[in-house]
Amino acid sequence: MKLPLGGKRGKELDEEIESHVRMAIRDRMERGESAEEAEANARREFGNAGVVREVTQDAWGWRWLENLAQDVRFGLRMLGKSPGFTSVAVLTLALGIGANTTIFSWIHSVLLNPLPGVGEANRVVALETLTPDGNWVPTSYLDFRDLRDNCKLVESMSVAKPMDLAVGNDVNIERVWGEVVSGNFFELLHVQPELGRFFTTAEVDHEQNTHALAILSHSFWMSHYQADPRVIGATVRINHFPYTIIGVAPAAFHGSMPGLTFDMWAPATMYGQLSSTGDATLRDRKWRTFRVLARLAPGDSIEQARDEVKSIAKRMAVADADTNDGMSATLLPMWKAHYGIQESLVGPFSILMAACGVLLLIVCANVGNLLLTRATTRQKEFSLRLALGAPRSRLIRQVLTESLLIGTGGMLAGLEIASLLLGSLGFLLPRSSTPSLTRAPIDTSVLLFAIAVAFATAMIAGAAPAFQAAKGNVNDALKEGGRTGASARSRRLRGLFVVSEMALAMVALIGAGLFVKSFIRLSEIRPGFDPEHVAIANLDISAANYNAEQADSYSQRLREQLERQPGVADVSYADYVPLGVNNGSWEDLEIRGFVPAPGENMKIYRTLAAPGYFELMKIKVLQGRDFNLKDDMTALPVMIVNEEFVRRFIPNGTAIGRQVNGWGKWFTIVGVVQDSKVYRLTEAPTPYFYVPIRQIYRPEMGLVFYVRTSGPMDGAILGIRRAAQAVDPAVPVFEATSLDDIIAGSLFGQRISASLLSVLASVALLLAAIGLYGVMSYSVEQRTNEIGIRVALGAQPRDVLRLVLSDGARLAGFGVAGGALAGVVLTRLLSSLLFGISATDPFTFGEVAILLTGVALLACAIPALRAMRVDPMVALRYE
Amino acid sequence: MKERYRNRIELLQGTLDLLVLQTLRWGPQHGYGISQAIRANSGEILRVDTGSLYPALHRLEVEGWIAASWKVSENNQRVRVYRLTAAGKKHLAAERSRWAQLSDAIAGVLNPGGEESEA
Repeated sequence: MKLPLGGKRGKELDEEIESHVRMAIRDRMERGESAEEAEANARREFGNAGVVREVTQDAWGWRWLENLAQDVRFGLRMLGKSPGFTSVAVLTLALGIGANTTIFSWIHSVLLNPLPGVGEANRVVALETLTPDGNWVPTSYLDFRDLRDNCKLVESMSVAKPMDLAVGNDVNIERVWGEVVSGNFFELLHVQPELGRFFTTAEVDHEQNTHALAILSHSFWMSHYQADPRVIGATVRINHFPYTIIGVAPAAFHGSMPGLTFDMWAPATMYGQLSSTGDATLRDRKWRTFRVLARLAPGDSIEQARDEVKSIAKRMAVADADTNDGMSATLLPMWKAHYGIQESLVGPFSILMAACGVLLLIVCANVGNLLLTRATTRQKEFSLRLALGAPRSRLIRQVLTESLLIGTGGMLAGLEIASLLLGSLGFLLPRSSTPSLTRAPIDTSVLLFAIAVAFATAMIAGAAPAFQAAKGNVNDALKEGGRTGASARSRRLRGLFVVSEMALAMVALIGAGLFVKSFIRLSEIRPGFDPEHVAIANLDISAANYNAEQADSYSQRLREQLERQPGVADVSYADYVPLGVNNGSWEDLEIRGFVPAPGENMKIYRTLAAPGYFELMKIKVLQGRDFNLKDDMTALPVMIVNEEFVRRFIPNGTAIGRQVNGWGKWFTIVGVVQDSKVYRLTEAPTPYFYVPIRQIYRPEMGLVFYVRTSGPMDGAILGIRRAAQAVDPAVPVFEATSLDDIIAGSLFGQRISASLLSVLASVALLLAAIGLYGVMSYSVEQRTNEIGIRVALGAQPRDVLRLVLSDGARLAGFGVAGGALAGVVLTRLLSSLLFGISATDPFTFGEVAILLTGVALLACAIPALRAMRVDPMVALRYE
Repeated sequence: MKERYRNRIELLQGTLDLLVLQTLRWGPQHGYGISQAIRANSGEILRVDTGSLYPALHRLEVEGWIAASWKVSENNQRVRVYRLTAAGKKHLAAERSRWAQLSDAIAGVLNPGGEESEA
């Protein structure tokens, strides 16, 4: 049996053997042998030094293992003897480890390992275009080509655009999330096909709309083709066009967006066909629609590459000033990229991980306390073993082994908890238009994390009891006879544990309180429109290959169909849902009578709206009129702007009748509406404008139907689905929900923080209460004699109650004070994530202090009541 | 059950342990010294193989019956010196009485005398 052994010990053994031989040589020489003879004989007599070394090392190895096996056997037996203690300790640990493992695996799957299945993923970065005012936007295909061809520090670049695809025939259309990508996409990501082949560069960059090829994800292949290898060469209908399947991606690969899962890939040159935009997108520099991925060249840092990208973008801003004036570009690591869910999750995840750390410390203190109590009651056993010659180190190891056994149990149960909780993130995410969340797997790194956490917790929790056990004085412990005594030191230590637990729980509760209040304030913000009783449905009209006229007539028919449905009060449509996850579109505007400052951002966001939109949304028209059915392709272009637009650009004179240029046309402002929130509930008023959807038609644009209903929401949502099916089954409804849900979804980052922090803080509070209860009831038990004497000497039950409660209150008081201090320091880190509440909000601090004190007194009440019932006769008879 | 099994087969190993512990009763000693002492005290009959001695020393050390430390010998050489611990003394006493029982038992088997009538 060979075990890896420390080099120091091996060297010492060599030295020991060498000294043996030298002494033998010296003795032989003293007896008259010559130096050579003596050396040869001594070495022969010693035998094969290598073998001696080996068998001696075996002695260490086996002994080490045997001791361990013995400790484990003994530990298991001891734990089995006190099932109550064991289950409480294991459960406590399981809670801590389960929570930590869950959050870690989320962080791991979204931030640390954002692109599973991708080779050398840390070299893959995101390229983002920046507007003059520093906002990030997608990149146009032509800009991408210029950047790709000129950037030397980047090995390769690829576009990738998430698209919802209508897959299947007329009878059965399914909405599938896919990406349209460059030919080198898979090569850039270092992904090998599981079956068939991936795209080639030729299939992407040259001819437009000629390479109708598709690659399936592993899971789509499994679920739709039963993993049949004959799928290669088969045809799949995407948005009604036939596509040839050429390959299947490996199971580990989910696409190029952190945390999200895609099921199909098609060449970016097919974007025009799939989105019914012809080839305009790929020829128009203004059509910023693609994400760009880049792989850094070997040896180059992201900073160097970013500088290069910036300088190229600067040259482009001059060369293509008509479209790119003031624009720039940057490179970001995947986890910092804006396209995807990771941005909204970085904040909540860091907070949650910190809260989990706090919870874990409480768990440590609690289990440490339990072990300490046990160590005290087992003092006699330990002293006996010491008296019988067991080395102290052996006792320390015994206690730590037991602690590690509990840790192992806690880890197994914790992993079980984690595997149940992993999917729960999906419920907290908005149900709206994002691809499904990749289920965070329990993989090697997560497993290693759980093991490390369990080990660290067990060692920390076991440290104090282990030394307590080893310190035991043989004589003292045995002299106490049958009674088990707790030393003053151990009592102080336990007090300290409880105080830190209370303090940590206080910090966790303050954090949770702040987030809950901040979330409530956020939800109370009025969006400027009335989302109640409004059902919305996203329709994928690009799937039906409509031209402008067909799309218009489709919308009219659907509107009429919906208006006939019972309970429907109002119907309208637009190309956009406010406060949804999609970023809107903007247009460069020129406003007659307004001279922009040099470099002023005139890219103004807009919505294409149908008549009746403002009435349905209850957005007040302050001046002028709403759009009407006469505002169509043949009529003069008209525009409605919001209050902030007027404040900014038309401070003097009347807004109505003012001319504004966009899309190369002059629009006349016919109305002014009140401000409403568009992207975030927390945004400041922003200039915004609306144009009739019938005057600016884009085949790839979204089409969203709005229905205000007096009936139940579910019925209204189902009604839209039925109506759409009746008007044209070729147009899939891919998202039908209530506007309220959309707004709730826009707060999902805050909601995750608030709800999960509340859960964690409640667990922390519960554990701290259990810890306090344990210490108090143990202390009452220890002081039964003293209380008995007090009662015998005339103390009233009230006095006994006060005695115990004041003890508990003192511990809780220290905890609350410590927690408040720590809270003041720590919550400052949260201020950027809070809304409408100060990080040191005195009310939250006060409420949490009261709650914690209340729970602490409750935890002390049971032991206190027990103390009150102490019968002095019984208590004194113990002596 | 297992304990009894071990007692039976580990007799010889236990004997070497006994010899080592007994030798260390007279004071701390290094490995070479122990082997020389056992040899001298047994009238040159027992020659302890180094391949058995060193594993035994290290095993006894792990058990906590002897403790080792590095000392400088009279010849200015660094040597590893073993001494008997308190636990080792107790163990030695137990082993000695076991050895006495054992040798009585063996003697009894080899010289069946007074007990024949009972058989």
